[in-house]
Amino acid sequence: MNYAQHEHHDFLGASNQALADPPLQAALTRLTDTLMAGNRKGYAALADSSALRDHAKRIKEHTLAHLDRYLEQLEASVQKLGGRVHWAATADDARRIIVTIAQQAGCQNAVKSKSMTSEEIHLNGALEKAGVRVTETDFGEFIIQLAGERPSHLVAPAVHHTRESVARVLSQHLGQPLPDDPKSLALAGRRVLREEFRRADLGISGVNFAVAETGSIVLITNEGNGRLTTTCPRVHVALMGIEKVIPRMRDLPVFLKLLARGATGQTLSVYTTMITGPKRPGEQDGPDEFHLVILDNGRSRVLATPFRESLQCIRCGACLNACPVYRRIGGHAYGGVYSGPIGSILTPLYDSVTLNPHLPHASSLCGACQAACPVKINIPHMLIGLRALQHQHGQGGHGGRHRGRWESWAYRLWSVVLRRPWLYRLALRGARLALRRWDQDGWLTRLPGPGASWTALRDFPAPAALSFRQRWKKDLE
Amino acid sequence: MQTRDTILHQVRLAVTEGNRLQPAPPLPERGRIGYQGAADAVERFCSELTAAGGHPFVTPDRDAAVQRIRDIMQRHQARKIALGCGGVIEDLDVANRLRGDGVDMTPMDALAAPRFREAMFAADIGISNVAYLIAETGSVVMATAPNEPRSLSLLPPVHIALAHVEQILPDLFDLFDLYSPVADLAKPAAPPPSCLTLITGPSKTGDIELKLVTGVHGPGELHVILIGSQ
Ligand code: SF4
Repeated sequence: MNYAQHEHHDFLGASNQALADPPLQAALTRLTDTLMAGNRKGYAALADSSALRDHAKRIKEHTLAHLDRYLEQLEASVQKLGGRVHWAATADDARRIIVTIAQQAGCQNAVKSKSMTSEEIHLNGALEKAGVRVTETDFGEFIIQLAGERPSHLVAPAVHHTRESVARVLSQHLGQPLPDDPKSLALAGRRVLREEFRRADLGISGVNFAVAETGSIVLITNEGNGRLTTTCPRVHVALMGIEKVIPRMRDLPVFLKLLARGATGQTLSVYTTMITGPKRPGEQDGPDEFHLVILDNGRSRVLATPFRESLQCIRCGACLNACPVYRRIGGHAYGGVYSGPIGSILTPLYDSVTLNPHLPHASSLCGACQAACPVKINIPHMLIGLRALQHQHGQGGHGGRHRGRWESWAYRLWSVVLRRPWLYRLALRGARLALRRWDQDGWLTRLPGPGASWTALRDFPAPAALSFRQRWKKDLE
Repeated sequence: MQTRDTILHQVRLAVTEGNRLQPAPPLPERGRIGYQGAADAVERFCSELTAAGGHPFVTPDRDAAVQRIRDIMQRHQARKIALGCGGVIEDLDVANRLRGDGVDMTPMDALAAPRFREAMFAADIGISNVAYLIAETGSVVMATAPNEPRSLSLLPPVHIALAHVEQILPDLFDLFDLYSPVADLAKPAAPPPSCLTLITGPSKTGDIELKLVTGVHGPGELHVILIGSQ
């Protein structure tokens, strides 16, 4: 099993399904509008936010360019404090390591705070098989776990649920009918999960940032489940990808200032917890054992390529909210663990470029993702890079191999025309005349022949009455 | 061990290979970029905390501070109070002054492990000191230590934090500078506390239709009582 193991499903079919689902459309609009408004407000309220984002990006660039060194430093710092460090080359390694930790410590009940990396390695199934009960404790993740689904957004995993469907899922779990107002549902969730925390002997968390110089790991939540996960159980296992390390303590607030602002517009999420080693002598609570699992799972391969920039991602979800494609089709349509623009890069890179032909094209390359990203990741550039890779693999884009020849002839013709101004002018005039009969109020909604596959999904703007060159000439006169 | 070396070796090769494509910048220094500290720290702290859904209360008067605690207790009809020790809590003599109020008060230094846990799960209100406050974000900073447990600000449904206005730091950067090891100092830097938590308002979730619900895991109410000039 690998990074973004999924069913290689029918992207177009799943997208159509999402488009035809009015409650989902309403939920997506509400979520992404709210979070994007927060993103803009958050950056605007921060002095020199653009310079700070550049600064954050340089820290990431520097760290990735010396990643071996910082990982070794992190390891030494964690060990100095009595923590244990485990290295996992693959998802399989990571699962085995965590199951072994649980077995050696005699743990039977695990609580988990939201971690995309643990989704990536499909941890829950492995633990359950080894006889360890696992409970997701982020409220949204808990709903999803009960419903047997996958998260559909990086920070709002249950966005595809309505209050009615949450009430249904929770009522069934509790064996008693619950009213469908959000407050009673969330508080019912609190009661159930409190009992899980009380009995848990293993806490599993992700890592938002790991500070190499002190061996500290940072967890960020709004609910407080990350704190409970690292306070109540006697064993804490934190799972991180190799890219989560940052060099110094004073680099941390740079990211803290940007993460919540970019994700939701909050100045800071409600709880930012920095854990440095296990509980110390004389302290009344906290885990006796602290384990840090450092996972590669394909990341070092990407580190060597022009797609290295994708490892700068801090999983804030802003690019999802900004993306005109995600905003309509939602997370599940992407088929991978990671969705949205960043998912369209990660899934092909870690799973397979050839088996995910549509993802690099699920973008208008408008650049809204990069504009929203706290570390200004050049997502459009990498999507184009992936399209180029597909081309090298002999995939002509959307239609796959069989349309490759048709497309390449079209481009060849296009380049012949473009290189001859007179031919270009003639071609444009011809096209304008020819297309006029399909013009409906400035839009071409149904074209014949090869144009039909374009207009089946979207409209094409009709040619203007005057071409740009004609207007230019006229205005100069 | 073997996996470790394989992974690090692979990372080293990838770093070298990738650095050929894109040369690496040095670790940048921040200077003043993004610094948000300003003169009106108390005011900024209070407005940010309020925006995050918390309740600040600033008073120069120690009686007013204790009365504020009493009011919160009464409003919640609290029976069981988990009480921190030392710091402002001791300055205000909270334990003795609330003794007559008919509540069951458990000071942190009086509890051994098994009873500690049950007392924390059962408490209606947790009253704690704080390490620092941050004006920029309206956050309360908790540093775990003996008798400063993680649970005190986490398990009870209501959290009251007591602090002096002098404990306010202007900006997040100031906090993490304090916990940064200084390289060229003769004595080795102390490690940061086992757990440092920044709390910014009550526990929140928006997981159901984006409707804000407070208190889903952590405290649903956060009160910060600041002793100092108005
Ligand atoms: S790519 Fe940027 S915007 Fe998207 S999740 Fe990662 S950090 Fe956030």
